[in-house]
Amino acid sequence: MAGNRAASADPDALSWYEATARQRVVALADPGSVREFLPPTERRMSPHLPLFDLPRAFDDGIVVGRATLDGKPVLIAAQEGRFMGGAFGEIHGAKLVGLLRAAIELKPAAVLILFDTGGVRLQEANAGETAIAETMRAIVDARAAGIPVIGLIGGRAGCYGGGGLIAGTCSRLAVSEGGRISVSGPEVIETNKGAEEFDSRDRALVWRTMGGKHRRLIGGADAFCADTVAAFRRAALDLIGRAPAFDLDTLEAEQARLESRIERFGDCRDATDVWARLGVNDPDSVPAMDTRAFDETVARVREANHDAR
Amino acid sequence: MTEWRGERNDRDARVQAGRVHADGKVVPAGSVVDLLEAILRPGDRVCLEGDNQKQADCLARGLAACDPAKIHDLHMVQSGIVLPEHLDVFETGIAKRLDYSYSGPQGARIARMLYGGQIQLGAVHTYLELFARYFVDLTPNVALIAGVSADRDGNLYTGPNTEDTPTVVEATAFKNGVVIAQVNQIVEKVPRVDIPGDRIDFVVEADTPFYVEPLFTRDPAAMTETQILIAMMAIKGIYAEYGIRRLNHGIGFGTAAIELLLPTYGEKLGLKGKIATHWALNPHPTLIPAIESGWVKQIHCFGSEVGMDRYIRERPDIFFTGADGSLRSNRAFCQTAGLYACDMFIGATLQIDLMGHSSTITQSRVAGFGGAPNMGSDPHGRRHPSDAWMKAGREGQIVGDPALMRGRKLVVQLVETFGEKLVPTFVEKLDALELARKIGLELAPVMIYADDVTHIVTEEGIANLLLCRDADDREQAIRGVAGYTEVGRGRDRAKVEELRARGIIRRPEDLGIEPLDADRALLAAKSIKDLVHWSGGLYEPPAKFRNW
Repeated sequence: MAGNRAASADPDALSWYEATARQRVVALADPGSVREFLPPTERRMSPHLPLFDLPRAFDDGIVVGRATLDGKPVLIAAQEGRFMGGAFGEIHGAKLVGLLRAAIELKPAAVLILFDTGGVRLQEANAGETAIAETMRAIVDARAAGIPVIGLIGGRAGCYGGGGLIAGTCSRLAVSEGGRISVSGPEVIETNKGAEEFDSRDRALVWRTMGGKHRRLIGGADAFCADTVAAFRRAALDLIGRAPAFDLDTLEAEQARLESRIERFGDCRDATDVWARLGVNDPDSVPAMDTRAFDETVARVREANHDAR
Repeated sequence: MTEWRGERNDRDARVQAGRVHADGKVVPAGSVVDLLEAILRPGDRVCLEGDNQKQADCLARGLAACDPAKIHDLHMVQSGIVLPEHLDVFETGIAKRLDYSYSGPQGARIARMLYGGQIQLGAVHTYLELFARYFVDLTPNVALIAGVSADRDGNLYTGPNTEDTPTVVEATAFKNGVVIAQVNQIVEKVPRVDIPGDRIDFVVEADTPFYVEPLFTRDPAAMTETQILIAMMAIKGIYAEYGIRRLNHGIGFGTAAIELLLPTYGEKLGLKGKIATHWALNPHPTLIPAIESGWVKQIHCFGSEVGMDRYIRERPDIFFTGADGSLRSNRAFCQTAGLYACDMFIGATLQIDLMGHSSTITQSRVAGFGGAPNMGSDPHGRRHPSDAWMKAGREGQIVGDPALMRGRKLVVQLVETFGEKLVPTFVEKLDALELARKIGLELAPVMIYADDVTHIVTEEGIANLLLCRDADDREQAIRGVAGYTEVGRGRDRAKVEELRARGIIRRPEDLGIEPLDADRALLAAKSIKDLVHWSGGLYEPPAKFRNW
């Protein structure tokens, strides 16, 4: 099928944003190294969706498995943003939690989570919320066992809701321009606070506020990649090599950093105000910058790199 | 004694009354209501310029704020019902009758008001038809128009969105009407004169720049593989086969996909220079890759498109531009070009019945037609041949003297079998008929009549209606490409196979197209940002289309 043909495509040319979850996993890992757990042939599907007369996916919208990355063993989970916006349901969440728990035994060089999610699936909200909590707990356990957990964010659905919370517990995050990280989505904010507060249809505003460039500049993400699978692979390898320690010092530093962020930027009306305060010379030019120009800008912003995200 | 100057004297009196609120021709935005109340009379025919894109919004707000006790029962004659104010005036009684063409964004409200009897509807016209009636029996008494700038003498610069303005002004100014223009600013000298000052009676400096709707931007990121498959079939099975050089595209995702496939799939088929060279088209951002790849020779535009101004300015070999460098569009001329000088119209619709009649009107939405019925009709007044036109003529005509055979315009409907929210596109009976019955319309609002449609393309295949020889052929040809809709499942399988053998229905495999090749990788641009790159940074997409 079309998916397979594109999956064999050159990772340098394959767009992360455009690719399916399975295409991302296959092109990200060393060629031929991926072994999927509970693949679609097992048909582990949502027990809840039929109640709502909704179609199910044979893999419940997530690919999990093991592979090698530059020869090192890794565990990988990839959410499929095209199935229900990559949202967490019971099976979807259980596959991710199971993978993270397996990491404690298998001791891979890292666990990679390829986020592409709008958050919890409304139709199985309790199971989904539980899955979010269990996932965060499992990530903490894995990190405590010395296994870095790296989040890669550049899919169409972004990384929202519980996905945004989980991303916050990862060791390191890589993001592309198209990727978005937040908890409440643009429409949710607009619905609750009004279009004057946040106009969800102003997509430039959405990306300025939640997009990859903003997250990278304020240090919410640790690497910025071009929208190719190859760029995400390089970023993943780099981030595995410099995962921060997981201890009380790191957590306290993170807390201190969050507090100082609110203090410094709390009165900003727009992301461009934040960037100006960070010392970006021409904040208005940031959205249009190509990857190279943006990398140079980031290099001049000191606090973009920090062990405490 | 016969009075021959009644209208003229009446016009002079209105202008005189309006002058009280003006400094020369210039009226401050704050005096709009006073000006309109001085000039308008109950029962007037009024064109409140609402085009496909450009809106005289400041004057619309002014009209809606007039006192219904003074100004009432107006007869609105305008092509677009786009702003809420366009309908507000019917709720307050300021307006009573309506003749229009298009009501996209207000389609649902207009339907409710028609059912509720708040609007007395004359007709839903095609653009050219409404423009024509401006000169015969719907000549406006007062026209409220919009431009970018004007000088104190009233010389008007419309900017790239000239659209309907010259037509509206022509009909009003030369038949004793009063023309009021809102402009974004009053200047010493306009960049170019689109409307000479002696046709404009009053100029209002608007409080905010007039609103323009970005109607023609389709985000490549939202394009599906089904749309790509349909586009591939259209290119190979219709564009290539008939050698379509001169054409018009609708605004749907299907035709946008065709635009994005020209430099990739079209190139692979060796079609560059052989198809899609001359266009009657708005400046679609999705056409940028084809333009930059040298596919397109020239484009005449109905209107402009938000964000395309700088790009157009830098491509005067392709677009019609003024001495000032900016686009000159003109809806009436471009519609005429689409009607007479194009060999094909291809666009989408919401409903198609068993004979091939189509309509964008559903029971809850009266979207109007715009230009589709003009461009999507076979012009019986055409007298110049072209290979594409003659080939279609030969396919359609089997009786009569071959020496007297004439050509046929290709009118192609490009649809997915199920539309938004899985609503079937193919229906036994158009909703338009039910609407006509409910509100008592003499003429059902059909967008394109069956006898004008030559091809229907869906993800299941192409139905060539020209080759159908009787009503049964036609019905089964339509059912045969209607997929899993009720209409599609009601097909006579043996008959459909017979039609396929006769080349009336063609499946992707009959065209040598592998459906699994329909991949987004084929799109010359996969995102709005890709379009910006193709344009060398000249295309400036509006914020709602950006994801950076």
